[in-house]
Amino acid sequence: MKISAPRSSKNRLERAAFALFLVVAVVPIAASLVYAFLYTIGLAGLLGGGFTGRSWSRVLGAAELWRSFGLSVAVAASVVAAATAGGLGLALGLRDEVRSGPLSSALYLPLALPFSVAGFVTYQLLAPTGLLSRLAFALGWVAGPADFPALTNDRFSIGIVVAHVALALPFMTLLFTELHGSERIGIFTALARSLGASPVQALRKVAVPMLLRRAATPMLLLFIVVLGSYEIPLLLGRQAPQMLSVLTYRKWQRFDILEKPEAFVVALAYTVFALGVLGLALRRSRLENGA
Amino acid sequence: MSRAPWVRKALALVFAALCGLPVALLLLLSLAARWPYPRIWPQEIRLDPWRDLLDVAHGDLARTLLVSFVLSSAVALVATALSYLAAKRIASHRNRARLSLLAYAPYVMSPVVLGVCILYLYLRLGLAGTFWGVALAQTIFSTSFGVVFFLGFWTEEKRALEDLVRTLGGTTWQLYAKVLLPISRGALGLCAFQTFLISWFQYGLTVLIGGGAVRTLPMKVFDYINEANLSYAALASLLLVLPPVLLLWVNRRLFLRIV
Amino acid sequence: MFLEVQRLAKSFGSRPVLCGVDLSVPREQTFAILGRSGCGKTTLLKVLAGLEDPDAGTIRLGGEEITGLPPERRRALYLYQEPLLFPHLDAFENVAFGLRLRRTPDPEVRARVDSMLAELELVSEGRKLPHQLSGGQRQRVSFGRALIVEPALLLLDEPFSSLDGETRTAMQTLFKRVAAAHSITALFVTHSLKEALLMGDSIGLMRDGTLLTYPSKDDFLRDPQSGADAEIAFWTSLQRSTP
Repeated sequence: MKISAPRSSKNRLERAAFALFLVVAVVPIAASLVYAFLYTIGLAGLLGGGFTGRSWSRVLGAAELWRSFGLSVAVAASVVAAATAGGLGLALGLRDEVRSGPLSSALYLPLALPFSVAGFVTYQLLAPTGLLSRLAFALGWVAGPADFPALTNDRFSIGIVVAHVALALPFMTLLFTELHGSERIGIFTALARSLGASPVQALRKVAVPMLLRRAATPMLLLFIVVLGSYEIPLLLGRQAPQMLSVLTYRKWQRFDILEKPEAFVVALAYTVFALGVLGLALRRSRLENGA
Repeated sequence: MSRAPWVRKALALVFAALCGLPVALLLLLSLAARWPYPRIWPQEIRLDPWRDLLDVAHGDLARTLLVSFVLSSAVALVATALSYLAAKRIASHRNRARLSLLAYAPYVMSPVVLGVCILYLYLRLGLAGTFWGVALAQTIFSTSFGVVFFLGFWTEEKRALEDLVRTLGGTTWQLYAKVLLPISRGALGLCAFQTFLISWFQYGLTVLIGGGAVRTLPMKVFDYINEANLSYAALASLLLVLPPVLLLWVNRRLFLRIV
Repeated sequence: MFLEVQRLAKSFGSRPVLCGVDLSVPREQTFAILGRSGCGKTTLLKVLAGLEDPDAGTIRLGGEEITGLPPERRRALYLYQEPLLFPHLDAFENVAFGLRLRRTPDPEVRARVDSMLAELELVSEGRKLPHQLSGGQRQRVSFGRALIVEPALLLLDEPFSSLDGETRTAMQTLFKRVAAAHSITALFVTHSLKEALLMGDSIGLMRDGTLLTYPSKDDFLRDPQSGADAEIAFWTSLQRSTP
């Protein structure tokens, strides 16, 4: 006689939650991506008059997408590079100050800022009539707003990068400080020194590579976040080229019905690229965990 | 390092000041009546925007604040409960590694890109332009965050504790009430707060799905910026920053773990 | 026999972990299972506790078939290698946990837990949280928590392997004493030959999902597979080489 096993019933609640998670989050995304793809090739939506590669060839053939792509990647890479370099510098150079004292508390403040507010504040600081320009005027360095170098809505996206770095730098600093302890960097540095390394060598050959290895996954995730950011480039970017999220929204919003599928093309291209970066990040983190 | 201690102290102070600068500037902007170029300090200070905020009956901003708060609280509640249980299911599943990738799906898409793609579905379901539609769309991001968060929480050890309670004769109800929920209290609180913030800060997705019918605080910031109403934009920004700063003030260590 | 296991089989995917395990243990005896890690010992215990479902086979405990019963209704208690104390409860409440689940009246809980703590030499440790206890103390609390619910069968998965040598010996003695006092029937899994001989009334050898059982300890010692010969040879040679 075998008694029926109600053991699996203990998972009923969890199964239901998992199913609901799929219904709420995963299925709509998958369905929307499929729909978006069908739309771009003319098999769905208002223009659904049969298969056509027109939207893809138009978007992929135009310089706009590639310039937007290049800009987004360049901005994201600059932000990651600057925040990483700065974070390493602060975490290693000002280690005691980051751990205790006024800086240790102040570092958390920028983490409380959303993108929209960071963009707004950056504009108020760096715009031709911003606080920095006024200070420069007071010091006699510029004769007026027109004289102040363009730091917002500018060619080199300085404003966008500054706003993102202002948010990411404290995060990276805290991350590296945390890793310095958990990865016992101090012990390894001391070991390197006793093996004959100079302070600079210990830093360059031991501390920095060890920290970077462990921070690789958060760095890639930061890259994706900046790549797809919207509010900051909306406030601080130029009309052309625009970063990917801004371009997607603008194309989608246009009255010209032909631009809608093009918005989807940009969205899909972005998603595929971000998926690749995320795959890399997850692979790395799995390697780190030794699984 | 080899630099003199006072140099490091001074550098630390400069960085600390830079960190505090945004909030200080926002405070000043919200109080500035007139601040023409090239003045470094406002010409005239007034409390009007703040007084308007307290005038709940007529205050547009106060109403937006309420909508935002209810919206984000609902999202946080649902997303935390759902992700807590869904992550538990994924963690104990044979295909854990593959299933957990699902939770990263929304991470791949920026909110705006996701919004553009998902809007058609929401239009067809009659969810676009409604409060609940916006809440549901925001739940996508918040729940995914929660699942990733709780996947780290449901370790082998928690599983072993669960088995232990079972063999000691505990029912599912007792398992949750006496062991799992008590040991998860901290994690649940952190997740709820973080998912609250994800919703509280959300802009692009809300604009797309809400279609202007649902107005939240971040949209208000942009409205005021577009109207060139800087002191109100600064005030709305301060309100937006308030919850995380409060948490920061209450508990710094807690804050680090959720950021 | 009190515990009777027949043709128990379990695979994970295409990998067989238990290949028809037969086993019987008389009441109030400890059966020690010796085996290397990965031989299927843990899976066997988990199947007996109801934490894993077997693919085939039957389990009878006290004459009653329990194969399909959920873990909370089996009265077979599985103890992990780690003491796994509830981090949010102190030592007293950890021991009291099973009684609380059964809604035992408070005075009775207090009396039984106090006497259990006394028996395990933990009287002054009752209000300490797990992280304030030493490794041996934690293991004893874990025992107390299991014993207090009077399980029909205790399943121990290398319970002492995380302890240092001295504490380990003390715990082995303590377990023998407590097991006798509470008339415990137990399965004791270990990878140490010495521990298996010390703790088991009878011994089985587990290898690649199959369990070899012996009529007596002497039969076990005579089997070259047990490794006892090699061990004895080692110590004898050592003895001979020292003047």
